[in-house]
This record gives sequence, C-alpha cells and structure tokens, in this order.
Amino acid sequence: MESALAPLILEAANAEERAMDDIELRLQLERVHADCFGWAMACCGRDSDDAEEVLQTVYLKVLDGRARYDGRSSFRTWLFGVIRHTAASERRKAWLRRLLLERKADNLKPESTVSPDVELDRDSRRDGLHRALADLAARQREVLQLVFYHELTVEEAATVMGISTGSARTHYARGKARLATLLADSQAL
Amino acid sequence: MTMDDSELRRRFSQLREADRERTPTFAQTHQRARARSASRVSIFVRPVAIGAVATVLIATIWMARGRSFSHSESAPAIATWRAPTDVLLDTPGSELLAEMPALGASVLDKMIPTPSMRGT
Repeated sequence: MESALAPLILEAANAEERAMDDIELRLQLERVHADCFGWAMACCGRDSDDAEEVLQTVYLKVLDGRARYDGRSSFRTWLFGVIRHTAASERRKAWLRRLLLERKADNLKPESTVSPDVELDRDSRRDGLHRALADLAARQREVLQLVFYHELTVEEAATVMGISTGSARTHYARGKARLATLLADSQAL
Repeated sequence: MTMDDSELRRRFSQLREADRERTPTFAQTHQRARARSASRVSIFVRPVAIGAVATVLIATIWMARGRSFSHSESAPAIATWRAPTDVLLDTPGSELLAEMPALGASVLDKMIPTPSMRGT
C-alpha cells in the first residue's frame, strides 16, 4: 500500500515545488521589471515597443523554463544577459524580415499616451545623452549603461555582455572618456 | 573640459527616471506575453488544421473515385471485349491470312478445291 502511494506523494510534492518555483520566479521578475525594461530599451535602440516585445519574449522563456537561472551570478545579472541575447536575436529576425520585404506596418504601433509637447520637452533634455550614447561603439554604450544606469559593477557588466572583465574595463574606460568628450562638445555648441 | 563620474551618474539617473515613467507594469507585460504566446500557437495550429482537412478531403475524393470504378464490374473483361467497329476488319479473304500457310501449299488450294479433295 505504502509503495503504491509513494510515487503519488512524490509527484504531488514535485508539483507543489514547481508551483512554488513559478511563484518565486514571478516575484523575482516583478522585482526587477523596471530595471529590465530600461536595459531592454538600451538593447533595442531606445524603442519602447521593441523593448516591451523583447521583455515579453524573455518572460515567456523564463517562465516556460526555456531559460533557466543556474545561480552562477545574481538573478538580475543573469536576466540582463538573457535580455541582451534575446534583443540581438530579435534584431537579426527583424533584419531578415526587412530583407524579405515584410516590413511591420507602422500604423499598427500603438500611439504614445504622452502629448507630443511633453515628449518633445523631455526629448530635448535627454537628447544630449542620447546622441552621445548613439555615437559610442556598441560595447562601450552597453558597459556604460550597465554601470551608470543600472549601477552594476564592471565585473557584473562583463558577465551580462559575455566578455572578460579585462575587456569590459577597456570598453568602460574608452567609452567613458569618449562620452565625456561628446557631452562636453554638445554643451559647448 | 572633462566630465567626472558623478555628472555622468546624474545624467543617467535622469534618463532612468524618464524611462520609469513609460515603463509598463509587470502584469501588463506578462499578460501581453501570454496573449502573444497563445496567438502564436494558433498561428502554428491553423496551417496544420488546414492541411489535415485538405488531406482528408483529397483522401475521401480519391476513395470515392476508386469505388465508382469498382462499380463497373458488369462490364466485359478487356480480353473478351470487342470493339463495335471490328466488323470493318472482317474483309473478304481475311480467313486466308488468319492461319499460317503450309510450305508447298497454295492459297488457291483453299479457294479452288483440288480433284483429290473433290473426290471425297
């Protein structure tokens, strides 16, 4: 009797554990959601629609178990890596779609809820940094965004970017110098 | 003019605050992700369903045709069937060509009976 019940008890325990994992995972995602959106924006050339699409894909990957957290780094660092990888993959797909003349219709995009005047004012305030960041090399932009925007260490940034710490340090130093010059130039104008 | 880290941090912090304002909630993003996933499933399922229906339709038509052919069992077999225009081939003297002529014999022997044949 006991031997017949044992698999059922084990299965129930596993199911409960899976449900707990799922809830815990969702809570963790919710905790870092705003930060993830900011990183997704950086990975998608600051396009909020693309950023949300990437984030949706990432959440599905994580919750469906296609991307598993292995505990080798912090959850946020690992998730940033998944976002970066997914954004790159989506960019490649978009490039292929454009190549096959399957352009996404612009009118299908939802309109911004913020009025154009407010948007313009905000844009002008951030424009200097946006433009300067856009002029940086991709790796330099990424490492600076991770360090200054998300307040990660250079080592953590290296993990997210999948490069060595030494390489990340080089990109960080060069990027910071170049960004400072670009911002100073834009102020001088 | 150089820019120190604190100035860069301040600028990035402004950017972060601006991004926070337009960040969708986690629930919204998660809900949209689930909806997108469901619609993606239907996108993949639809061609499979259409393919299955088409296969069943083709198979049904094929079987119905096969059955209609097998209904013609009352028709004569090809070995015994004779064309209605066969009589046109039945020309005078065709019986002479119907069998192999024997060596030393003449076709005329058949047409004009010899005395030996007549004597019987």
